[in-house]
Amino acid sequence: MSPAAGIGDGARAGSTVARMMLGGQLRRHREAAGITPDEAGYHIRASRAKISRLETGRARCKERDVLDLLALYGVDDAETVAGLLVLVSQARAQDWWADFSDVLPAWFEPYLGMEASASVIRAFDLQFASGLFQTEEYARAVTVLGHRGARTSEIERRVAVRMKRQELLTATDPPRVWAVLDEAALRRPAAGTPVMRAQVRRLLEVAEMPAVTLQVLPFSAGAQDAGGTFTILRFTEGGISDVVYVEQLTGATYVDKPDALDYHRDVMNRLASAALAPAATVSFLAAMLREM
Amino acid sequence: MSSQNGPPFSDIPERAGEPPSFDTTVSHPARMYDYLLGGKDSYEADRDVADQLIASMPSVPRTARANRAFLRRAVEYLAGEAGIRQFLDIGTGLPTANNTHEVAQRAAPESRIVYVDNDPIVLVHARALLDSTPQGATDYIQADARDPERILREAASTLDFSQPLAVMILSVLHFIDDSDDPAGIVRQVMDGVVPGSYLAISAATRDFDTDRINQAAGEFNAQRVAAQIALRTHAQISRYFDGLDLVDPGLVPVNQWRAPAGLTQTVTMYAGVGRKPA
Repeated sequence: MSPAAGIGDGARAGSTVARMMLGGQLRRHREAAGITPDEAGYHIRASRAKISRLETGRARCKERDVLDLLALYGVDDAETVAGLLVLVSQARAQDWWADFSDVLPAWFEPYLGMEASASVIRAFDLQFASGLFQTEEYARAVTVLGHRGARTSEIERRVAVRMKRQELLTATDPPRVWAVLDEAALRRPAAGTPVMRAQVRRLLEVAEMPAVTLQVLPFSAGAQDAGGTFTILRFTEGGISDVVYVEQLTGATYVDKPDALDYHRDVMNRLASAALAPAATVSFLAAMLREM
Repeated sequence: MSSQNGPPFSDIPERAGEPPSFDTTVSHPARMYDYLLGGKDSYEADRDVADQLIASMPSVPRTARANRAFLRRAVEYLAGEAGIRQFLDIGTGLPTANNTHEVAQRAAPESRIVYVDNDPIVLVHARALLDSTPQGATDYIQADARDPERILREAASTLDFSQPLAVMILSVLHFIDDSDDPAGIVRQVMDGVVPGSYLAISAATRDFDTDRINQAAGEFNAQRVAAQIALRTHAQISRYFDGLDLVDPGLVPVNQWRAPAGLTQTVTMYAGVGRKPA
């Protein structure tokens, strides 16, 4: 079995999972050799942070860097090296969002890759409906909020990225999207009534999709221990741990430490437990639509 | 982690007003089982206890996988040859591949399944992820296996108790102490179903590798666990089928029940299926 087995078989498998698998293997070889990230970084004329990004699959890497690192780690088995080089070439595959790099911050691109190849996406959304569920008009209103003064053409490109992401939901082998949406996102209008109505109708539609589970967290559930929006991504590929994505105003954090993962999963489970069941969510949204 | 405006991280385990079973600092059978099967929904406490169990009893993950494979073969038999269309699955566990309703509805899409588990984390996952076919139905009850009266009452809103059904109690009864009368619990459930109904059981045993598993269970029970293990013999586990006709091949090691020939590795669990006679 080739070391790259397990990726490339699904319709959605992208370069990000290849990078994560490559990174995981580089980390195991480095640790087995007893080499620190600093030493590894120095060897390829890069920083410790670059090694960290490489090993978590969040940076693109050159074949030469991988070969230099493997030499440093004393990995010379021809089959192992060849397997890793296959991953390097898969990791270099162009993703659709490469065409949108002008409107994509560097810290967001890894998320797109992970989202595109995740098997389970669990999201908690507080202020806005999840990007994967937004109508085009709603997405435009939300994008304008975040990019005041941007030219229309730029706004349209940003909206286009969001719409393109949604193709995931209708892919042949879609990820399971399990979203908890705070009632506040529905009550505080992000746009005019017609747009909000259409957005609620859209939520009712996605809630019916076999791969989507939507739960509204009603005000009546009381305060929850989640100060903000976060997303947990899970991958089927062996050896890749869950990743939590937490977005800030000018950056994002990717969490993959076991104790922090446990904590985010615990909070997500509590949110899902406090939220309305999927069937009750549909009734809630339908009642809301009638009142709007 | 809402450290800026919310409760600080260190407050989490002591929070009041939560049901104790949502306590992720105590290892829970369903989450340990998920870990043993290679799942990613366990917490550190579950992984720590499971890792120690594996260290003293390396066959445990194999037994867990064999139990999962038994679930599939048993449901395929029940939905196929036995013609059963209703399932009461007590001790569901966290959703993984080939859950009861998926196996049953693959054979007969109109199958109706009620899942029962006492772990609210299991319930929240089951409710979100275990979707029925449009022709069939799935429902979820948060209840303890030691409360058969409540299970039967609540299951009746989805299952038709005037028709035969299959009761599945897999890898659950060894978490019920003698003082809670596991055989009595099984009897109470089977008293509530009509003749022609089935019972599928798997339960841990101390008949194989006895010294080692006794020691491993002792160490397990000395830790902070939501449920202690009670290992039983073939004779004790056979008693769960009192009044029922055991289907071939009877009560056998879990990897041998209607399995392809050649599976002879030691597992420390028995499995069997019985039918309630007229």
